[in-house]
Amino acid sequence: MKKKTEYIYTVVLVAVIIFGLFAWAVLKPMDDFSESERRPLEKFPELSVKTILNGDFMENFEDYTNDQFPLRDGFRSVKALAQYYLFGLSDNNDLYYTEGQIAKLDFPLDEKSLEYAKDRFTELYETYMDGKVNKVVFSVVPDKGFYLGAANGYPVMDHAAMEKYFEENLGFAEYVKISGLLDKNDYYAADTHWRQQDITEAADALLSALDARPFENLEETLATDKFHGVYYGQSALPLPAEEIIYLHNPELDSMTVMNFETGKETGVYDFDKLESKDPYEFYLSGAAALLEVNNPSAESDRHLIIFRDSFGSSIAPLLMRDYAKITIVDTRYIAPAMLGDYVDFEDADVLMLYSSLILNDSYIFKK
Amino acid sequence: MLFSSIPFLYYFLPAVMLCYFAVPKKLKNAVLFVFSLVFYAWGEPVYVFLMAASITFAWGFALLMEKAKTQKIKKIFMIVSVCISFAFLCYFKYADFFISNFNAATGLSVPLLRIALPVGISFYTFQIASYTIDIYRGDAKAKRNIVDFGTYVVLFPQLIAGPIVRYVDIAEQLEHREHSLEKAAYGIQRFCIGLGKKVLFANAFGELCSIFRESSEQTVLFYWMYAAAFMLQIYFDFSGYSDMAIGLGRIFGFTFLENFDFPYISKSITEFWRRWHMSLGSWFRDYVYIPLGGNRVSTPRWLFNIFVVWFLTGFWHGADWQFIAWGLFYGTLLVIEKIWLKKWLDKAPSFVSHIYVLFFTAIGFVIFNSVSIGGALEDLKGMFGLSDIPLSGTETLYYLKSYGLMFIAGSLLATPVIKNVLKKINATSLGGKIIAFAKPIGFAAVLIIVTGYLVDGSFNPFLYFRF
Repeated sequence: MKKKTEYIYTVVLVAVIIFGLFAWAVLKPMDDFSESERRPLEKFPELSVKTILNGDFMENFEDYTNDQFPLRDGFRSVKALAQYYLFGLSDNNDLYYTEGQIAKLDFPLDEKSLEYAKDRFTELYETYMDGKVNKVVFSVVPDKGFYLGAANGYPVMDHAAMEKYFEENLGFAEYVKISGLLDKNDYYAADTHWRQQDITEAADALLSALDARPFENLEETLATDKFHGVYYGQSALPLPAEEIIYLHNPELDSMTVMNFETGKETGVYDFDKLESKDPYEFYLSGAAALLEVNNPSAESDRHLIIFRDSFGSSIAPLLMRDYAKITIVDTRYIAPAMLGDYVDFEDADVLMLYSSLILNDSYIFKK
Repeated sequence: MLFSSIPFLYYFLPAVMLCYFAVPKKLKNAVLFVFSLVFYAWGEPVYVFLMAASITFAWGFALLMEKAKTQKIKKIFMIVSVCISFAFLCYFKYADFFISNFNAATGLSVPLLRIALPVGISFYTFQIASYTIDIYRGDAKAKRNIVDFGTYVVLFPQLIAGPIVRYVDIAEQLEHREHSLEKAAYGIQRFCIGLGKKVLFANAFGELCSIFRESSEQTVLFYWMYAAAFMLQIYFDFSGYSDMAIGLGRIFGFTFLENFDFPYISKSITEFWRRWHMSLGSWFRDYVYIPLGGNRVSTPRWLFNIFVVWFLTGFWHGADWQFIAWGLFYGTLLVIEKIWLKKWLDKAPSFVSHIYVLFFTAIGFVIFNSVSIGGALEDLKGMFGLSDIPLSGTETLYYLKSYGLMFIAGSLLATPVIKNVLKKINATSLGGKIIAFAKPIGFAAVLIIVTGYLVDGSFNPFLYFRF
C-alpha cells in the first residue's frame, strides 16, 4: 500500500467514526429510559447564563451525551468485553462473570453495618414483639457470590462470620441456617435473586422453625422467558434472556395481596409486572413498604409477619399455607415507628429474612 | 473539557475541525482562538476572564518592551509582566499554602482563601513567562496581533496539561504552517495512541490505586502494587495527554516538541529527567538554572542552583510539602549521581541501573501521590514492611491476578519494545503491507473501545489537571 493511500485510509476511517457518530448523536431523537440499566436517561440540560457560569450546564451536558450516545448499549458491551477478554481484568463495574453467572464483588464484611442492622432488629423486637409474639425466626440469604466467588478465586465476604454474628447477637430469635440448602444454580445467572423453584428446601427449613407446613401440590409454570436480570444491564455482557418460573396451586391462586401504600389489591403473582422494567417484581408486585396477604384456604387463624428485602418476595408465597394472614414489611421503605398503626403483633409468628448484600450495607434501614 | 470525554471527541472536535478547515488561512488562528476559549470556559467558565487578563498583560508588556528606549526600561517591563503572571499563579495556587504555614509557625488563625485552582494555570503561566523572557532577550519578536498571541497561549491541544510550548518554537508556525494529509494521518494516529494510553491504561491503573486507598486490607505486596500502578498511571496519563496534544497540534499544522521518551528505560535518574516531562525540564534549565549560573560556578553555588531548580520543580507540581519533598528527593539523587554514583552506574550491568531507576522513581511517585509528608512516610513504611502488616492477603492476590495482564502490557508499552518490533516487521515487504493495512484499523478499534469506556462512564480523572 502506498503511503498516500495509507494516509487517506487512516483519515477517512477515523473521520467516518467521529463525524458519523457526531451527526448521529445530533440528529438522533432523545431516549427516555434505558431498559438494560433500568434507569431514566439524562435529558438535554437547561441552558442559561446561570447554568453556564456555575458549570451545571457543562456537567449535565456530559451526562446527557453519555446517556444519549448512539449505540450506547453496544458500546457498553464493547467495554465489558474488552475489560474481561482483552485486558484480562477479573471484574467490570465490580461484577464478575464466571461459570455462566454474574455476581457482584461484595467484601469485606462490614461489622459496623452488621451492628447497625442488629440494633434495628433489636429495636423492632423490643418495641413490638417482646412478650407479644409467639416466636421470632431469623435467617440470612447468602449472596450468590458466596457459592461462586471462593470457588473461582474471587474475594467474598465471610458469610459464616455474618451468620455467627446474628446467631449470637439476636438472642430473641431462632437462627435458621439456609446457606447449606442452596447452591449457585439456585440463583438467576444475570440477577442478584434466587429462583423460586429452587428454594423450596430453604422454605421448608424456615417453615420447620416456624412450626408450619409447606404446600404439597405446587405446580411449576413459566411466567416469562424474556427476563433480563439487574446484572445483565450493569454488566453489559450479551447474555441470553432467562426464564421466570413460579410455583402455584389453587390455594395460592386464591390469595389476595393488599398494598397499604397504593391501596391496590393484586394476587400473589402480579402478571402486569412481567412487562415492567424489573420482571422479578412479578413476585408480590416487587418492592413495597407494607403488604397484607389474605389466605382464605387457611385452616387456622395464624398470623405471620415477615420482615424482608426483595429476596423475601419470591419465598414468601411458599410459606403461606398455614397462615390466614401474612403481613410483609420492608423497613427500608417504612419507618418502624409507624408499624404499630398497621400491624398487630399479638400472637403472631415473625420471620426476619434478609440477604447478606443488604445486611452488609444496612444503613438503608430506617430508624 | 477533557480530551477523553464524549463531548470533546464527538461534539467539540468535529465542530472545530469543520470550522477550521472551512475558513480561509487568515481566519484559522481566529477559529482556534475562539474554540480554545470555549474549550477552556467549558471547565472554567469564570476563570476564562483571568486567562484573558493574563494574555492581555503579557501581550501589552511585550509591545512596550519592544518600544522601550533603554535596556533598563525593557527589563522593568519584563519583570513587571513576569511578576503579574506569577502573581496570579501565586494567588490562586499558593496563597493557602503560605497562609496555613504562616498560621502553623505563628499560632495565628488567618483564614484560608479556599480558592479553586484554575485549570492549567501552571502551564499557561510558564508559556506566557517564556514569551515575555524570549522577547526581552531578543530571541523572538512581539506579536502585534493579540489573536495570534492569544492563540499561542490558549491553543486547546496543549492548554490544560502541556507540553509547555515555548513561543520561539511555534512563533513561525502561528503565521505560516502547512496542512497535509500526512500530517493529519500522523496526528490522528498520535491522538489515538494518547487516547488509548489514557483511557485504557492510565484509568485502569488509577482505579487500582483508588481500590488500594479504599481497601481495608493493607499488605506489603498491595503497597508495592499500588506504587507500580501509580508509576504506570502517571506515565500513561501524562504521556497520553502529551501524545493527544502533539497529535491534535499536528492535525492543525503545528509541530510541538516531544514531552516523553520512554522514561522508565533510563539507567540513571539524570537520564530519567531527560526523558520525563521534557518541556518542563528544559523550561527550568533555560529560565532558571542557566540564568542562576548553571554548572559554571563554584561547587557550593552549583549545588545551590540544582536544589533551587528541584525545589521549584516540586513546588510547581503542587502547593504542599510532599511535592517539595519529592522535588528535593530528586535534587538529592541527581547531586549524588553527578558527584559519585553516575560513574559507577555507567559501569554497572544494565539490569542493576534499571532496577535502581525504577526503585527510586517508585519511591518518588509514592511521595508525590501522598496526601501529606506524614502520609508519604506511612506509605513508605508499608512498602518496606515497617507497619506491622502482613506480606499478602486475599484481596491483594485477587487484584494481583486481576491486573496481571495489565501490568505486563503496561510495562511493555512503557518501553520501546513493541515499537521496535513493529518497526522491524514494517521493514520487511510483507510485514510493511500488513502493518499499512492493519494500522488504521487498529487506531479505529482503539477509538471504538475508548468510546465504550467513556459511554460507560468509567473512572476518568486527569492527574495533571491539578497542576
